Amino acid sequence: MSNFTKQLDASGLNCPMPILRAKKALKELQAGDILRVIATDPGSVKDFEAFAKQTGNELLESAEEGDSFIYRLKKA
Amino acid sequence: MEFSNLHLVAGLGFLLAVVFGAVANRTNFCTMGAVSDWVNMGLKGRLGAWVLAMGIAIAGAQILELTGLVDIGSSIYRTTSFGLGGYLIGGLLFGIGMTLGGGCGQRTLVRVGTGNLKSLVVLLVLAVSAYMTLRGLFAVLRVAAIEPMTIDLQAQGIADQGLASVLAGWTGIEATDTVRWAVGLAVAALLCLWAFSQKALRDNKDNIVAGVVIGLIIIGGWVTTGLIGMDDFDPVPVEAMSFIAPTGNTLSYLMTYTGSTINFGIAVVLGVIAGSFIYALFSRTFAIETFTDRQDMINHLSGGVLMGFGGVLALGCTVGQGITGISTLALGSFIAAISIIVGSALTMRIQYHRMDEMGLFAALGTGVADLLMPWRMKD
Repeated sequence: MSNFTKQLDASGLNCPMPILRAKKALKELQAGDILRVIATDPGSVKDFEAFAKQTGNELLESAEEGDSFIYRLKKA
Repeated sequence: MEFSNLHLVAGLGFLLAVVFGAVANRTNFCTMGAVSDWVNMGLKGRLGAWVLAMGIAIAGAQILELTGLVDIGSSIYRTTSFGLGGYLIGGLLFGIGMTLGGGCGQRTLVRVGTGNLKSLVVLLVLAVSAYMTLRGLFAVLRVAAIEPMTIDLQAQGIADQGLASVLAGWTGIEATDTVRWAVGLAVAALLCLWAFSQKALRDNKDNIVAGVVIGLIIIGGWVTTGLIGMDDFDPVPVEAMSFIAPTGNTLSYLMTYTGSTINFGIAVVLGVIAGSFIYALFSRTFAIETFTDRQDMINHLSGGVLMGFGGVLALGCTVGQGITGISTLALGSFIAAISIIVGSALTMRIQYHRMDEMGLFAALGTGVADLLMPWRMKD
């Protein structure tokens, strides 16, 4: 069983697109659901930290896998 | 080659820009990111860094001018020609462009230094577009459609577009040095206070460092060209950091090197790339990044064209007008900066609504409504 409810691939996209897409994807999820985001923009690390802190959606994971950055956000 | 005053000014500009590039890279200073954090997250930390840089630059520039050290008024910003069309339309187009292109002029240079080849493509397109708007095909459009919207302030009885002169023209009071000191220091203090009133700025020392250092670098730019570089026999234009027309000039300089001369703006463009590159090497963050998505490439190319065209029309970018121009207290610089922010915020809202498969015009209408009723942006 996967450890996320929905996955969003924002590879190749720069700020602000990964955040915009994550915001839109989270809107369609239920509280407690987990969104996994794949991004390649190095700036997305700080963006997702700030996004989680500001919106209250918990950042369960922020990891680097090869050239990609993986985030798991739990919808508040 | 003889070492002239021009070379001294360019050399110092380069050194200042190296620090700019390294600090902007380290602190993630990004004016488009500032708008994105604000519009998409309600976070004003990076916006605070930008505003803090404005406040510090205003304080420094006004002190330099009012103590008679630097003739800030002779720069391109505070002229009697009030290019309203350029500030509004150019600013909007620049704001759209920087959002599509992954960042403003300075951010593009910083990212080139980190190995981002997408930004290199944006930089080249931006440079060509800026040069075309200065002297090429786009200049025809600029002269025919934008310049007629220029207002001659002297004909309206206003000495120049500095806030103190505009205030004097409207109220009838005389713009004495006391009034100029009061206006300058009040605006600087207000902007710094607003920046520090933002919790997101206070909580992240990177934002404070970025605002303070970049504000000081702009002051350093004025000192370099207007004080150290002041030489009646070998004059240089009084200017500070700006990234659009100078990027066009840099490309031209590199292509016609044997017949060209370096200047402050070109040195600054090259210095920001160098500073960011040096920081990327030391922090081991240098990484080649390329296009992987068709739409992303179209966006970046469009962004470069719009930033080059809009930036020249508006007489500057988020740094050129948004900090350097604002430090002169030119009314047009404030208008251009606000137009850039509106253009960028609107583009982000359109991108957001377009994800719902909304048509472009419907998304535009909804985006405008979002900006007029900001509470709608919380969703």
